[in-house]
Parts: sequence; structure tokens; C-alpha cells
Amino acid sequence: MTLLSTNNPVPKAKAAEFTRPLLLTPSEDWKGYLSNAAGRIFLFMVTFLSVIAVLLIFIFIIREATEFLTGNNLKEFFTSVGWYPTHDPPEFGILAIMAGTGYVTIVALIIAVPLGILAAVYLSDIAPFKLRQVVKPIIEILAAIPSVAYGFFAVLVFSPWLEVNLDFIKGTNALNAGIILALMALPTIISVAEDSLSAVGREIREAAYGLGSTRAETLIKVVIPEAHSGIIAAVILGMMRAIGETMVVLMAAGMSSQIPSPWWDLADGVRPMTATIAQEMGETPKGSLHYQALFAIGFFLLVFTFGLNMLSEHFLARVRKRKRG
Amino acid sequence: MRLLIRQLWDKFFTGSAVVSILLMVLALVLILGPMLVRGGSAVFFRGTVEFRKMQLALYNRGDVDEITTESAEVEKSRQVIFDTLNHFRRGIETEHLIKRARKFYRDYGDQLRQQNTPSEQYTLLRSQAKKIRNKLCDAYESENKNQVLENLDFVIQQQDNSDFKGTLLEELFVLAQKYKKVVQSIDLTRREQYAQSLNEVQEILRQLFGPLPGEPTPSLALFQYGATRWDLAQKYLHRLLWKEEWIQIAPDKPLVRRELERKTLFAGTELESIFDEVQNNLPVMLQPHPTFYWQYFIDDHPPGYYFGGVGPEIIGTLLITLISMLVAIPLGIISAAYLIECAGENIIVRVIRTCINTLAGVPSIVFGLFGLAFFVLYVLPRFHMASKECILTASLTLALLVLPVIIRASEEAIRSVPRTYKEASLALGAGRFRTFVTVTLPAAAPGILTGIILSVSRAAGETAPILFTGAVAFAEVPRSLLQQTPALSIGSYVIATSDNVGMNLPHKQYGMVMTLIVLILCLNIFAIWIRSRTSKKLHGY
Repeated sequence: MTLLSTNNPVPKAKAAEFTRPLLLTPSEDWKGYLSNAAGRIFLFMVTFLSVIAVLLIFIFIIREATEFLTGNNLKEFFTSVGWYPTHDPPEFGILAIMAGTGYVTIVALIIAVPLGILAAVYLSDIAPFKLRQVVKPIIEILAAIPSVAYGFFAVLVFSPWLEVNLDFIKGTNALNAGIILALMALPTIISVAEDSLSAVGREIREAAYGLGSTRAETLIKVVIPEAHSGIIAAVILGMMRAIGETMVVLMAAGMSSQIPSPWWDLADGVRPMTATIAQEMGETPKGSLHYQALFAIGFFLLVFTFGLNMLSEHFLARVRKRKRG
Repeated sequence: MRLLIRQLWDKFFTGSAVVSILLMVLALVLILGPMLVRGGSAVFFRGTVEFRKMQLALYNRGDVDEITTESAEVEKSRQVIFDTLNHFRRGIETEHLIKRARKFYRDYGDQLRQQNTPSEQYTLLRSQAKKIRNKLCDAYESENKNQVLENLDFVIQQQDNSDFKGTLLEELFVLAQKYKKVVQSIDLTRREQYAQSLNEVQEILRQLFGPLPGEPTPSLALFQYGATRWDLAQKYLHRLLWKEEWIQIAPDKPLVRRELERKTLFAGTELESIFDEVQNNLPVMLQPHPTFYWQYFIDDHPPGYYFGGVGPEIIGTLLITLISMLVAIPLGIISAAYLIECAGENIIVRVIRTCINTLAGVPSIVFGLFGLAFFVLYVLPRFHMASKECILTASLTLALLVLPVIIRASEEAIRSVPRTYKEASLALGAGRFRTFVTVTLPAAAPGILTGIILSVSRAAGETAPILFTGAVAFAEVPRSLLQQTPALSIGSYVIATSDNVGMNLPHKQYGMVMTLIVLILCLNIFAIWIRSRTSKKLHGY
């Protein structure tokens, strides 16, 4: 140390360069200050585009639907089962269509929620590290397969299989669409639920094991209740995926706008909201009552998913809080 | 006892968790397997000589000399069948024979007139000739074998008449002799039935071997070639050998399908032999060779998907995805940079985050509605452009859809850059902007790239948002951004719901969706690979 300092004395001239203050006031460095402010404003504007996009989506969906919604069709819209847009006079009853969405979503959730939670538990608590590295990409690929490919599978592979092996009269029905939707909702449910399960601390698990509980007891009685908000958020997000999905229900749900009778008959075809829009929007003249009615369906879809999204946000915020401790 | 139950319950729980994962993997295999395998048969298959002829004619591919010699050989082997067919047809379709007989009779009259035959002799010869002709025509029309043979014998006896030697009337005798041979081998009372079955056989032979010799070339490319693929040929062969029938077994019951051996319809006739002939020699007649038809991915297809590939669809999908990415990537990365580097925790940032999450949760069909209402019907007219669905509107709609995906992935990537990197750069005197561009961004680049690739695959696979904002099932390769375009996703939807394609060309159906899945799988595997590499790098091993 001493050797260094004697051989290389600090040049005195260099010290003079630091006489200016490290932090300049705006008046001393107005150029830098301005460019900094301009940069920040630019970045903010770009980021704010997302907000504008959401606003525009709401405004324009409402704009197209408003004439229908303020007219006197509204009562019929919510009370009638018949959707006959091309009849004279046309009938726009959304009940059967909403029921269609309800049917496929419920079937999907009944299958996907238990499976998804079990798989999440497996990934977070049971699987060895190496296996997890293999399973995660598989789930990602399941999520990445385009919805039209799922629909293709449902129509051309799964539906004939149902007809031949399980004696369904018609292979494209609520059950078929529900099962495929369950597969599509699974990756979402698994990844969110697994996140929240991992966020539950090690010490809680160790305490449970220390008291002599088995793995199943630890998970079911301690970890899962502790992670409930994240799991609820996972279920809501999976539900959103099932409600918003278009191509699968368009291709596999059977396209008959009716409420199945008897009510538990899943072998009946249904027609969810998204499928109705996708099927009819291309054929209806722009600006007609039918067109506005379809936008009204879109509006309710938007409001519904927006509400669910807010709900899931609320639960996810609780998970995040827990993560931070 | 209680402990045992607890342990069993534990085992059951663990087991069901494992089963849930296995079920998922099984589902993935069951879904991807059939689509990839059957789709692969659009590219790898056994192409017949008809396929090579079609490729040469439509796309100018392959060796001309080789294909001509090959098709000449093939035609030689098919000739047996066509000869038998023609011979048999002569017995069945007598109308054109009657026409021919009448024509010869008329020509004979002209011949006599040209030779300046005296009028008396002329009348005599003509009335004799007329008698012969009528007998022959009666023979053709009659279904009674004895009567036919009687009539024919009468005609053939006239052969010896010296008046007719060397005249056109001799043709009539030739016809009669030919017909006599035919009549001896078939049951004339079943002529109607034969004619109908024969038409079916001819139709199937056309599907197998293309237009029959002597027929004019059809104008549609579809009918110009026979079975281009060996699996199709097998299907047609089955149809040739077995006739499908729907029979009512009992009243009030649905019809039952039954297959009848077509050979039995022609039992005892010479046509019976061609069924075995075709069955045994089909490989010689079609020359199937293993083919790798990679041009499937660049070829255009005529309407109806009969030949060709998915070239326009691939180009359309790539175009839409590329343009939407050009819009979404800069916006996404800048937003992520702002949210991580500049924004604190205030109400505005909270609103922004909520909006990004909302955007991610909007159903894709609502994006489609919005694209239609905003870009197509509102923005385009403001710029004095035709308010028409086009690539631009589809891309902008998709850009909005993938924006939150890119923002989230980029945020995650930027956040995972170790703090020490940034602090080192700041300590060296670099400003915040410089630090971000030269240190944070390169370190986060693999993560951002992963997010981008995943959002590309999302954009390429989406159907609902572009359903009414610019993509259509049938269109030409787009020349400008203001045109509609075909796309893989829409093509898959349309082709899956088209019964006609499904009945006849399942490989084309599966080929389209296989292309889409392969494209997306490749992108995803690439993304996963990049991520695993970076995570190793960040962990330092």
C-alpha cells in the first residue's frame, strides 16, 4: 500500500476537475434538464397509450351499441330466449346465448379447477426440480397452441370420437366445447395457482410437518387455505379465458341458440356469446339493428370480463402483499 | 389404523397430483399427435405419376423426358383396362352404334348417287340396304337374345351378296359381327342396369387415372388428373371394388350402410376381369414413389384446395404478424422501461397498470369488434381511405392485443437484471438514459426477446380479432397493405368446417392446421431455449 502511494502519487491537477458540484441546478444545466423532462414526458405518453386504448375500446363498443341499448329492445334483450335477428320482426333475446356461455364455462371449470390445482400443487411441492423444468415448458406449449387448432381438434378428431365411442348423436355439443375449454384454461390456472402456492412461506410448511402432519394434510389444511386468494384469482382468470374464447366454441359448441332441455343435457348444442358475434358479424350490414345488437353482446362481454379482471386484480394484490411480507 | 388411513390418503393425494400432470401431457400428445401426423401427410406422401404430371403442368417442376416416358409406360399398362371397358361399352351403349349404322347407310346412298347408278337399281339397292340397316338397328335395340342373334345372322348373311362387295355397306357387316361377339357374353335384359353401373365405374376410373383416353381435356385442373396420391388411390380403389348401398332393413328403422362387391354386378361379363386387374396392377399403373413435397409451403392453391399448398396463407400470416410487431414492440418496450425506471408508486401509474391488465383480459372477439368499429369504420375514412377491411387494420388490432404481453414480459426481463449492473454503470458516471440503453437493455435483451417471440406466436395464431378486420379465407397474395389477405388461422377455420374438403382431401385440412401448429411450436421452442440459456447465464453456471 505504501509502495503504491509513493510510486504513484495522486496528481494534484486532477483534483481540480471536481470543483463543480455533482448535481447541477436547472439553471446551470437547462439543456440536460429539459431533455430529461422531455424524455420522461415522451415515455409517459407512450405508456399512457395503453390507457387510451382501453378507453377507446370502451368508447367505440358503447358507441356502436348505444342505439340498441337505449331503444326499446332492452327488455326483450334480457327476458327473451329467442334470438332470431333475421326474422320479421326480428327478435333479440340474449338469455339462451348467455346460458350457452354459462354452460361451456361451468363444464370447463368443473374439469379444469381440480386438475389445475392438483397440478399446481404437484409443481410447487411434490415434483423434483429437474422434472419441473420439463413440465413447465409442456404447460407453456399447451397455452401456446392457437385456439383455432383446438377448435380444429374438437371438430375433426374429438367430435367423431364422441359419436363413435360414446354414442353421442351429435359430437359438437356443450360437453365437447367445455372439455376443450378446460384444456385451454388449465395453463392459466396452473401458473397463477403455482405462483401463489410458492409465495406461501417455507416456515409455515415446516411448522406443519414439524407437528407431524403428512404431505397431504400440510397442503390441504395449511398451504392451500393460506394461498386461497391466489387460487381464487387463478380460477377467475381461467374463467375469463373460457368466457372470452371464441374459435373453440364457434367450432365445437354446436351452434344452436337454445337452453338445453332437460337442463343437465350436455349433449345438446349451445351457442355462446362470442360464437354468436363471430358467426353473424360478417354477414350483417353495418349499422343495422342486428349489427348493434351484436355490439351490445360484445359490450356485455367486455363489462363482464372487466369486472372479473378487477376481482382477480384484487386477489392478486393480496398475494403480492404477502410475497413482500 | 388411523395412521394407516392418513398415510393412504397422503399417497392418494400425491398420486392424483401426478395423475393430473400425466393427464395434461397425455392431452397434449393426443391433440398434437393426430394433427401433426395427418398434417404431415400433406408434405410427406407417396406421389403417383399423376402427381408428377400435375406438378409439371401447373408448376413446371420435374424432368420432362422422364415424366413423358413414365406416363407412356403407365398408359400402356392401363390400356388393357380401357380396351376391355370400350369393348364392353359397345355392347351396352348401343345408341351411338345405331347412329353409326344410320350414317353408313346414308353415306352408302351418296356413294350410289355419285356412281350414277340407274334409278331402278338405285331404288332396289337402297331398299335392300335399308332392310339390312333396320335389322341391325333392331338388333341393337332389342333385349331378346334370340331375336338379336336372328337379326344379326340375317345381316351377316347379306355379306355374300355380290352387290354390296366393296361398298360402304360392308362397314355394317363389320359392326354386326362385332356386336355378335359382344352379345354372346352379356345378358341383354340387364342392359339398363349395366349402363348405370358402367357409368359409376367410369367415373371412379376417371378419379383414379384422369380423363379416359379419347375424352376431351376438362377445363378444370381438378378433373385433368387422376389420383395424385397413393392414399387417395387406395380410397378410390376401395370405391371401385365395393359399391356402397344404404338399405332399409325394417320400416321405421334408419337406413343401414352395406358394401357390395361391385364385381358381382358384372358377373359373367368380360368387365368382371378389370376389377382384379386394377387391384393387382395399381402400383404399376400409378407408380407411387415416396415424395417430399416441400413446395407445399410456398405453392398457391386453386379454389377448393385440390392441389397446391398454403403459400398465400403463410405470407399473409407473416405480413400481419410482422406489421403488428413493428407497432407493438417499440411501444411495449418503452412502456416497460417507463414503468420500471421512471414511474414511482402514484395513482396514475396504478391506473396505467390496471389498464394494461384490463387490456390483457379483453376477449379476443371484442378486439375484433373494436378493430372493425374503430380502425375500419372510423380511422380509415378520416384519412380519406376506403373504409374496407385490410392488412393494416388487422395488424393494428393484433398489435393492441399483444401489447400487454410484450409490456409484461419486458417488465419482467428488465426487473430481473441485477441491480449491481446498473449501479456499476451509474458509478462510472453514465447518465440514467445511457445506463438504460447500454447496460440494462442488453442484459434484459434475451428476456425481452423471449416475450417478443411468444407474442409473435400469439399474434400468428389468433383468429377472432382478424375475423372481420382484414383476413379472409380466399384471396390472392396481397400486393399492398390496403388489401385483404388469406391467413393460416382463418384458413384452418374455414377448411375445418368445409365438408367437401373433409370428405375428399383430409390431408389438405390437416396440412393447413399442421403448418400453423409447426410455426407456433417452433417459435415457442426457440423462446424456451433462449430463456433456459439466459437463466443459466444469470445464475452464473
